[in-house]
Amino acid sequence: MSIIRYEQTQGKSLGFYALIAGLGAFILAALGSVYFMEHSGHHVTGMSNRIVWGLPHVFALFLIVAASGALNIASIASVFNKKIYKPLSRLSGLVALALLAGGLMVLVLDLGRPDRLIVAMTEYNFESIFAWNIILYNGFFLIVGVYLWMMFERRMNKYSRKVGIAAFTWRLILTTGTGSIFGFLVARQAYDAVIMAPMFVVMSFAFGLAFFVLVLMASYKWTERALGDAIVNRLSNLLGVFVAAVLYFVAVYHLGNLYLAENSGVENFILMDGGIYTQLFWYGQIILGGLLPLALLYSPATKGNRSMLGLASVLVILGGLAQLYVIIIGGQAYPMELFPGKEILEGYGTIAAYTPTLPELMLGLGGIAVALIAITYLVKFLPFLPESLADHVADPHHKN
Amino acid sequence: MSRLLVVFLSVMLGSAIAHSDYHIPNLGEKATEFKDEGKEAHKREGMSHAASLILQRKMHPELLLHKRDKTLRQGVRGGYAQLKECVECHTSVDKNGEHVPINAPDQFCATCHEKVGTSLDCFSCHRTTPAEEL
Amino acid sequence: MKELNRREFIKNSTAVTASVATVASGISLTTFAAGPKETDPVTNEKRWGMLIDTNKLTEVDIEDMVSACQEEHGWGEETHSTGDQKPGWIKKVKVKDTATQRISNLALMCQHCEEPPCVDVCPTNASMKREDGIVLVDKHRCIGCRYCMMACPYDARSFVHEDLSNQKEHMPRGKGTVESCTLCVHKVDKGEQPACVEALNSDAVVFGDLLDPTSNIHQTLKRVQSTQIRADLNLNTGVRYSGI
Ligand code: SF4
Ligand code: SF4
Repeated sequence: MSIIRYEQTQGKSLGFYALIAGLGAFILAALGSVYFMEHSGHHVTGMSNRIVWGLPHVFALFLIVAASGALNIASIASVFNKKIYKPLSRLSGLVALALLAGGLMVLVLDLGRPDRLIVAMTEYNFESIFAWNIILYNGFFLIVGVYLWMMFERRMNKYSRKVGIAAFTWRLILTTGTGSIFGFLVARQAYDAVIMAPMFVVMSFAFGLAFFVLVLMASYKWTERALGDAIVNRLSNLLGVFVAAVLYFVAVYHLGNLYLAENSGVENFILMDGGIYTQLFWYGQIILGGLLPLALLYSPATKGNRSMLGLASVLVILGGLAQLYVIIIGGQAYPMELFPGKEILEGYGTIAAYTPTLPELMLGLGGIAVALIAITYLVKFLPFLPESLADHVADPHHKN
Repeated sequence: MSRLLVVFLSVMLGSAIAHSDYHIPNLGEKATEFKDEGKEAHKREGMSHAASLILQRKMHPELLLHKRDKTLRQGVRGGYAQLKECVECHTSVDKNGEHVPINAPDQFCATCHEKVGTSLDCFSCHRTTPAEEL
Repeated sequence: MKELNRREFIKNSTAVTASVATVASGISLTTFAAGPKETDPVTNEKRWGMLIDTNKLTEVDIEDMVSACQEEHGWGEETHSTGDQKPGWIKKVKVKDTATQRISNLALMCQHCEEPPCVDVCPTNASMKREDGIVLVDKHRCIGCRYCMMACPYDARSFVHEDLSNQKEHMPRGKGTVESCTLCVHKVDKGEQPACVEALNSDAVVFGDLLDPTSNIHQTLKRVQSTQIRADLNLNTGVRYSGI
């Protein structure tokens, strides 16, 4: 295998500045929204005492979940020793850190008292899975940071496999932790399933990879570097497998819930008569985010076509957002079973209404923008990207 | 021990700052009356009144914080440091006879807090004027 | 505004520094001359609880309980919050048994769980349970993450969605933090009854120490049938109901 040479991007073109400016505009809009929300109070959002976590949390959890998934490429290279992914490891670590930073920013800025963040860092309740998550996120930054350093520094290269394994383990725990945030909500039927945690792990594979593929293809295209089919086709196959796995887990989750009589109410709600949630589930999550990407990735007509791979990745991301919307918001909208065997006529028990507002959306998009701007800048200052990923570089044995 | 050190240092530092630039803020209605009557507020045993006042000024966050956790989390009631008592004495009354929020600009709390640029978080939840008489 | 006499100041600072050291080392704040004596911390020898008898409770009674709570704590006058954003520390719930068609009305508030999920999940220890079983939010620590609201099985908590002013002296409340029924802890600590219980002043709602064998609530619980809402969750609630 030939030596891979990494090189910074130029970052001087008009396109670069246009990209930065565009993302910057989104970030400014997000900050403006935060100021508005925090200044007036959350009454200006669609969130309420029934829907306590809204659109910002959909974006935040999406980004956090995707972050750990984006690290997969590096893990496959180091943990499973697949050489072809090796040149992508650095970028994979970078995308993971950037996505996590974006997600955490959204999560923190939606707090009722973001000014008290220091309290969250100093007053730990070790029984709280939420507090554990804070530790897991910080650890993720640390480990992936070290991992990147090992990869950059030639004399440290020999340790990179060990650190890679640590990072891989950590990210599995992290996503399990994120999934468990819901697992601990015993009284909410939508979350009453052991499968939540592994499902989040599989979701992270798919969302993270979709994001990674888009970043990779865009950066190679815009910097006019060679990106061979050998790598792209593998990523495309991998994405297909992950998307199918998510569908599988979703099916198991819902079948399992249907089987449990006490959860049939919420199942009917999500699958059949939940209005927007049902639509988002079937059209958004299943069709747009699952079946259509699979078709694009595997059907002979579109297979191997980069635009179609890009489209599939975008759809996976949109489908992922829809999925988290259904899980987070749909799961809250359906009332808790306060009195089994009784019907609540008054006082509680209706389906909670939620209409997301513009500031919430802007805050969420701001998180994505933060992740992208971080990536754009860092590939300019540090050599994250191989100068060429043409087939003969990436995989000398590749035959067309 | 480290706590003692922190307090000690902050008092030293504080006095140095206060030394060059100290003026008594708007004391508030009752506190002013109290003072004009020549009574000694915040007097501690075994300490001169002026010294007690300085201590009060320097250490009011610690005094309140200490009591705050005990009251809320352990149910300890009564005792010296109670925020509502601070508010009771140190709020002013405007020309319509209405109490002015103690955290408003130029009022007792805000004067110093603005000057030294420390946040004044108590009143994002606590009542800023004395309770009305029932 | 007067300048403090400079010489006097210097003279005093030395004395102060010395005495501050004394105070800080022991934090023996009781040396203050003024102020009523501090009470001892509460202990787990008591566990406060409430028994609500829905058979004896009319709908008007429940409305009275709700307004007594609002009056006592000052919630419900929020002007910007709409719909589900309005706080609801205690609410009237009407249920119908699907098998027998029997209708009962009850007041639902924080159940002061012995194993409170809200406390388990709170990342900052802001949600807390006092030794005597009263579950509170320490708003000094609450960061407004709302995880406790997600975890509470009784929909008992509210998030303050707007700026507030003119709070009650005994009930600090503020934007961006979570709140719920305090079992009128400020009254209970003075030996009084919660406002909703006082307002009703009938044996439809009994308040007292669940652990004290001589207390009315202990005796009544021994005598009449009662349940916990969602008893299957094993939270051992402090608020009990009979007649549902
Ligand atoms: S009822 Fe809800 S808020 Fe009250 S203690 Fe139980 S879990 Fe916490
Ligand atoms: S909202 Fe406040 S009380 Fe509730 S879990 Fe978060 S920090 Fe704890």
